[in-house]
Amino acid sequence: MSAKKMVYLQPIPIRIWHWVNALGIVTLIISGAQIRFPEAITILGSYKTAIQVHNVAGLIVAVFLAWWLVYYKMVRNSLDDIYIPNEEDIKHGIVRQLLYYCFWYFVGRPSPFHAMPDSKFNPMQKAAYLVVMFMLVPLVVLTGILLMNVTPLRVLILMSGGIKIIDTLHFLVACSLFAFLFTHVYLATLGATPLAYFKPMIFGWEEVEDHDEEHHEEAHQEGEPQTGFRPVRHYPEHPAHPQA
Amino acid sequence: MKAATKHIMYRLLMTVALAGALCVPALAESDGPGYSFGETTGKNEACLTCHADGQKVKGASLIDPAQFGHTTHARIGCPSCHEGVAPTHPTDGTRTPRANCQQCHTEVNSEYALSIHAGKASCSGCHNPHKVESPREMSGMEINQMCGGCHDKFKMSAKHGEWLPQADLHLYMLPCITCHTGSKNYFISMYLVSTKNQGKLGKPEVASYEELKEATGGRDILTLIDTNHDNYISIAELRSFNLNSEHKALRLQGMLTPETVSHRFEILDDRRNCTFCHGSGPTVMQTSYLSLPEANGTYRRVQVEKGAVLDALYGTPDFYLMGSNKNNMLSWIGLAVICGGLIMPVCHGFLRFLTRKNRTRKEH
Repeated sequence: MSAKKMVYLQPIPIRIWHWVNALGIVTLIISGAQIRFPEAITILGSYKTAIQVHNVAGLIVAVFLAWWLVYYKMVRNSLDDIYIPNEEDIKHGIVRQLLYYCFWYFVGRPSPFHAMPDSKFNPMQKAAYLVVMFMLVPLVVLTGILLMNVTPLRVLILMSGGIKIIDTLHFLVACSLFAFLFTHVYLATLGATPLAYFKPMIFGWEEVEDHDEEHHEEAHQEGEPQTGFRPVRHYPEHPAHPQA
Repeated sequence: MKAATKHIMYRLLMTVALAGALCVPALAESDGPGYSFGETTGKNEACLTCHADGQKVKGASLIDPAQFGHTTHARIGCPSCHEGVAPTHPTDGTRTPRANCQQCHTEVNSEYALSIHAGKASCSGCHNPHKVESPREMSGMEINQMCGGCHDKFKMSAKHGEWLPQADLHLYMLPCITCHTGSKNYFISMYLVSTKNQGKLGKPEVASYEELKEATGGRDILTLIDTNHDNYISIAELRSFNLNSEHKALRLQGMLTPETVSHRFEILDDRRNCTFCHGSGPTVMQTSYLSLPEANGTYRRVQVEKGAVLDALYGTPDFYLMGSNKNNMLSWIGLAVICGGLIMPVCHGFLRFLTRKNRTRKEH
């Protein structure tokens, strides 16, 4: 029978960022829908309220994007390891992870991903979050800032081809992020239990089976390929067990 | 008695003769070069001899004959409005009688009397009667220049900014009369702006006839956009113009302009409800016209294909009324993208449900 241990997965700054971002994005989706379809959607009351809510939520998401960037890049200095796929990820990792999601998961095999310190995403997550966090979110924030300041930033809008180009980009990128949200939430349910990955994003700690690492060591000694590990993410610099 | 009658007759004859002697030169003078009375009414050449000459008259008295010539005021003639100009004008030192607009524009006058402008500005405070243009012949930017004569741009921006998001943008992209008169129907008034010699990103101003003529190399300026010369602008022609890098300094702008113009200026509460414009939907966005300047200072209005401003990207890249002129195709694409995001969770979740026993067995 395997022992359980607690690992500290999500530090407080990341949890704050995540949930502020989550609330902000849901608010942006609702207010954005009313702004685009005012004749059909009136959830937030007046159009002016919808615009103000959208602007405030957008600014909060933008500020917290900077918070996330500063924390990972300058405080923890782990942004590159977490979000940028390495050579192994590109050559084999992404395909291996894709095969796991498409086939191995259904036959009951564990994930091929083996978490490393400050490398909590599997290769597919890295690729997806690289696009989301470094392309889509900055693009939607930048186009949003332009749309909020059409007169003062007129020159930048003209350089981009006009306000319709900016608005179209903003709308389509926002739709793409909305689409990603479904996948993001669904994948979060693929832990040992459906809520296993939600808990660490709330409390910071995740309960994992201790035998995983033992198994890994045994497998490694016997020269077996490094597969068969469920994703274990941890921060070894933190104590393994929280204070009661 | 006879002597008395003769004396009266003599005095009467002398009076008539004296009156005749005084009147003949005056009548002769009225047909002279200085005035356009009587048979010359409508031609106005006599008045314009001086009033079109910048060296003889200045300011509001200086009239552009080309601009004045096409107005209704020119057809009825100068004396119709400026009655009783003395024959000795301008050497007699008397002031030329001012026009009484109410004589003809009775309805406008009654309408104006009900507006918040009444008593604060006369007709000539906004209109130059010697350069009459209907709103359809003007660009929206020029309509606002009339208002800007009294209403300071910065003060107005600050005042509207108290409740209106992006007040600067609204004041720049809308004629004041769109919100401050009660017109029910609207059209999009398109016009060309140029950045003069400041490059593509300079300050835009309404392009003059001369600039556009130069841009076309002397051809009809309509051919800048209307490439097939059918006096009708299609969406394809708009896209072609907007993507043409030869016209870097020219951009097409548009304003939501009232179809029927009222002189009853007022502050309307329903305009403070943003959905009046932003929720007006594609119905209002159907009609648009392009206003192009003419050599005589007037504007020519050319019809544009229905729904041009609803084009996704390049029909009118600088005109976007959030919520109203969204492109439907783009909305469907957005919906498809969002639904695409559900494919993986739904399919994977379904297979996950079917194969749940595999994972349970492994765990055991």
